[in-house]
Amino acid sequence: MKLNLNIGNKKYDIELNKTSGGSINIKVDGEEFLFQETKKEKKELSLAKTSLPKRNFSEKEIKAPISGIISEIFAKEGDVVKQGEKVALLSAMKMENEIISDFDGKIKTALIKQEQTVKEGELLFLLD
Amino acid sequence: MEIKKYKKVSSTNVLAKKAPNKPWLIVLAEEQTAGYGRKKDYWFSPKGGLYFSIILPKSNIEDLQTLTLLAAFAIAETIKENLRIKPFIKLPNDVYINNKKVAGILTENVVGKDVKFSVMGIGLNTNISKFPKKLEGSATSLQLESKKKINNKKILVEIVKKIKKQLEIISV
Repeated sequence: MKLNLNIGNKKYDIELNKTSGGSINIKVDGEEFLFQETKKEKKELSLAKTSLPKRNFSEKEIKAPISGIISEIFAKEGDVVKQGEKVALLSAMKMENEIISDFDGKIKTALIKQEQTVKEGELLFLLD
Repeated sequence: MEIKKYKKVSSTNVLAKKAPNKPWLIVLAEEQTAGYGRKKDYWFSPKGGLYFSIILPKSNIEDLQTLTLLAAFAIAETIKENLRIKPFIKLPNDVYINNKKVAGILTENVVGKDVKFSVMGIGLNTNISKFPKKLEGSATSLQLESKKKINNKKILVEIVKKIKKQLEIISV
């Protein structure tokens, strides 16, 4: 489709084409612009990802919910912990985060030391 | 605004952690015997100051971190609007006036797979006329800086309203 537009005193020759890949090609005075249609669904998905970063929590693993420093450790290897029991204290910026276990179990591996810096999603404890 | 008021407590955060998980419930004390900041740093909390904790609604941890930073802005703005003195925010979230600390914020969360409980404690030196020798060089109060008597209740309500508004903005 070809168009001639007058904006102010200037004339523009515009050509619109749909490419085989589904993109829209708009040529303005010989200069090409390629537009890709974004599906609404896709947009919402990327928004959700921004506000809720992936945490990768899986069963029987206790991971750092946020980056910070382990200021206290309340559970060691071999300890039996109950759901809701605190296992570590993680200091991040001006927040103190009491990390609790989400399940009953025995601490198989403790991967942290006091004053250790941890990253968001880093594994802290493995439970049996 | 629901406020649970106490004369003297160990720490409003400690009390709030034992209170029902009711969002925006405020635990207020006239005096704290063991007020603390991060890493259990002592917070001088005699009668006259403003010490309170806000039970926060269930939010994601990133929003709580942002909110903790924004709380410093809420405090600074309230001070500026009420007393026309210009506070300084030392990032991440300390509020200073003339190079001396005037307010402290400590957010404490209980976190499993998600955030189970959050409380934000705020200590603001309002009507404190004298600090112990070891704090004289590093702490100040609104009364010392403005030479005015501060209305603690008014300041409290304004700060909480601002924090509430900020959380509404950031948690979409």
